[in-house]
Amino acid sequence: MKRIEVKLALPVVAPLLDVIKMLGDSLRSNLAAPIALQDLDPDFKAAWVDELLLAQNGEITTLLGLFDDEFFSEGIVAFDEGNAEPIVRACAAVRLHLRERYLKPLGDETLESGDIDLVTLDEPLRKAFMCYLFLATIQELIIQHLDESILGS
Amino acid sequence: MTTRASHTLPKEQVRTELALEGVWRVVVLNDPVNLMSYVVLVFKKVFGFDEQTARTKMLEVHEQGRSIVWSGLREKAEAYVFTLQQWHLTAILEPDETH
Repeated sequence: MKRIEVKLALPVVAPLLDVIKMLGDSLRSNLAAPIALQDLDPDFKAAWVDELLLAQNGEITTLLGLFDDEFFSEGIVAFDEGNAEPIVRACAAVRLHLRERYLKPLGDETLESGDIDLVTLDEPLRKAFMCYLFLATIQELIIQHLDESILGS
Repeated sequence: MTTRASHTLPKEQVRTELALEGVWRVVVLNDPVNLMSYVVLVFKKVFGFDEQTARTKMLEVHEQGRSIVWSGLREKAEAYVFTLQQWHLTAILEPDETH
């Protein structure tokens, strides 16, 4: 089984985990990407939402599971064929929710380009944006090293 | 004694069923959050696109705000929209007027 281990800077990442946990709690009852189909049967739509929320919650639990005792003692997280897909999806969900909850003042063009001077942001916005970048980095690592595992599963 | 049930459908049901017939397009809409590499991965995974096709579709989404990624029967189109939602991409269905 292909596995990658990444050593993270504990003092940088640990403070971001509170933000991720809080957003994860908020996503327990909210879809990160609301259903845009207008003409779905209401009962059918409710069943979709239930199933999507169940999957989304499972993904976020897997993401948060990365930050276990080994992370807090060694700063190491590990990705493999078993967790790559749920984690890459959880990162997408939390990033979408970060935009919804915190990052809209930055504007979508700025968010897409990522061209922001962190020192100009106030503390809550800076922390949210660092979290946004951190989760993107995890996604890029997984896509770069474990995409074949995801495509083959 | 049994009575024979009527097989006449209510008008509203007939209208709905007719509206759901035909060919439907699955359209992925742009968002400013998801990474280009992530969208390419999702297109390859969900639709089985090769790298070039997935990149072309992703760039359509990015530059034009939307891309038609599949067309066919409504039921399967809905299943694709559901799968895209599982990957946190936003997708809609449109009737394909060319058929």
